[in-house]
Amino acid sequence: MIIRRRPRKISVARLLAYLILIASSILMIIPFYWSVGTSLKLERFVFATPPQWWPTPLTLTNYIHVLTRIPFPRYFYNSVVVAICTTLGNVFFDTLAAYAFAKLTFPGRDRIFFIFLLVLMVPSQVNLIPMYRIMTALHWTDTYLALIVPNLTSVFGIFMMRQFLMSIPDDLLDAARIDGCSEYKVFNKVVLPLAIPGVATLIILTFMGTWNDFLWPRIVTNTERLFTLPVGLAQLQMKNTSNVAQIMAGTVLTALPMIIVFLFMQRQFIEGMTAGALKE
Amino acid sequence: MTAAPFPARFNRFVHKNTMPYLFITVPLITMLFFMFIPMIVSFWWSLNDYSGLQPAKFIGLTNYIQLFTNDPIFIKTLVNTTLFVLMGMGIGPTIGLLTALLLNQKVRFQSVFRTAYYLPVMTSLVVVSTIWVMLYNHNGLFNSIINGMGLAKVGWLSNPNIALVSVVLASIWQGFGFETVIFLAALQSIPRELYEAAMIDGAGSVQRFWNITLPSLRHVIVFIYIYGIIGSYQVFDQIFVMTAGGPVYSTSTIVHYLFKKFMDLQLGYASAIAYILFAILVLFSFIQWRFFTEKKLEA
Repeated sequence: MIIRRRPRKISVARLLAYLILIASSILMIIPFYWSVGTSLKLERFVFATPPQWWPTPLTLTNYIHVLTRIPFPRYFYNSVVVAICTTLGNVFFDTLAAYAFAKLTFPGRDRIFFIFLLVLMVPSQVNLIPMYRIMTALHWTDTYLALIVPNLTSVFGIFMMRQFLMSIPDDLLDAARIDGCSEYKVFNKVVLPLAIPGVATLIILTFMGTWNDFLWPRIVTNTERLFTLPVGLAQLQMKNTSNVAQIMAGTVLTALPMIIVFLFMQRQFIEGMTAGALKE
Repeated sequence: MTAAPFPARFNRFVHKNTMPYLFITVPLITMLFFMFIPMIVSFWWSLNDYSGLQPAKFIGLTNYIQLFTNDPIFIKTLVNTTLFVLMGMGIGPTIGLLTALLLNQKVRFQSVFRTAYYLPVMTSLVVVSTIWVMLYNHNGLFNSIINGMGLAKVGWLSNPNIALVSVVLASIWQGFGFETVIFLAALQSIPRELYEAAMIDGAGSVQRFWNITLPSLRHVIVFIYIYGIIGSYQVFDQIFVMTAGGPVYSTSTIVHYLFKKFMDLQLGYASAIAYILFAILVLFSFIQWRFFTEKKLEA
């Protein structure tokens, strides 16, 4: 079908669309640009009038300070360990449980799943204080255990993976069972490979959520040795209000890993984000 | 399938009936210890005078009554949080929809623009807040620009009348890209034939928007508002980093106040705050649940 377009009118509208898109994108980028720029300035030029759009002189002293005087490498290491362990845990446990809920029949299945869904509605702040007391009782505060174990599985992850696994045809699983596979083997050899797109989404959402999480790690860690990047950055921002250039160096170091991962896996990120919203 | 000999059949029976439970053991235990029990304990504490140091003392609904009748700061946090939600949800999703509509016009470099909008969404709120604290500084970029235009500097985070709005602005900047991406995906899934048929019928672009685009987005719009409202009511990170609730409680929100009471070792009181938040969120979850079950009944 051919629809005649009126070229002139459309080109004006297009021009306007591009103008708005470009202007708003610049507004989105400026804060990031300003943050990177400031991190490369000498402190005394941070609030110079008129503002320095290009750092002169360009300096790395702020990064050197943050990396040597403040344990940012340690924060980074903690963030990596916590995010990776949490993500691996969720991939394994959430998918396994989702498989049981989606594809196996056992007494009480629907009732248990319903309770899971109810719990999903409870905001984490409700559990926060008792959780903290549990951590102190177990002597888990200021250890990786407190940062990782409570988040090893997530109801949201189970729910999402269940939706995903429901679309795998039962015949495939039955064929594997007839071949003598145990339920775990069916999961490992048949379900997991088929679930890879769903798992990719789960990995991204869990990793991002853990990397950026603030309140929980803030509460269960008191020593710098255990701080994750956001906690360390907030700490730096509080106690070092005067030196903005150093804070910005910390900001860049905190944000950069996530941004790099995002730029490389953009498609998966966007698909992951939209999957939850559009499937309902 | 031929019947297996008895022991094998028995093994298979045991296997089939224990494996599923084994598969859900870890989530079940985690949920029990880190969600279910804390949830009940929290409710019990909300009925107690409890500092965590001395034994809890049962005081019934006193904490709740105190919060609503004798704690003007708590009422202020309720108002602040609601204002935060109203302003954020009033503006954010609209910007998200507008940018999505623009991006959906088959523009070039669509993914570049989308990346720009989405970048802050996957950046930690602590990072975003730290950057905005610098921008909002008395001598920061915003005031430099305003001053350059010959206007007086603004106390973005130090003026109690403005501080909450400043936090909202930063939060909208951070979050609307999520809505852009969701709306864009939803727009792209609307069948082209609908638009083509409407164009043949002579519908203008405004009519097409009202009669095709908006109704097709109904589901997504509800999703975005409900999740947005639920998420915004839990606002904490921005407040903690940007204003710490000040100046004079003008930006204190429910969760920030809860955190403060927790730090002050008023654990019973803080638990009551948590349950009030819970009640607010349940209300919105209920609305959403009604909407989606209605949808299913219609279909």
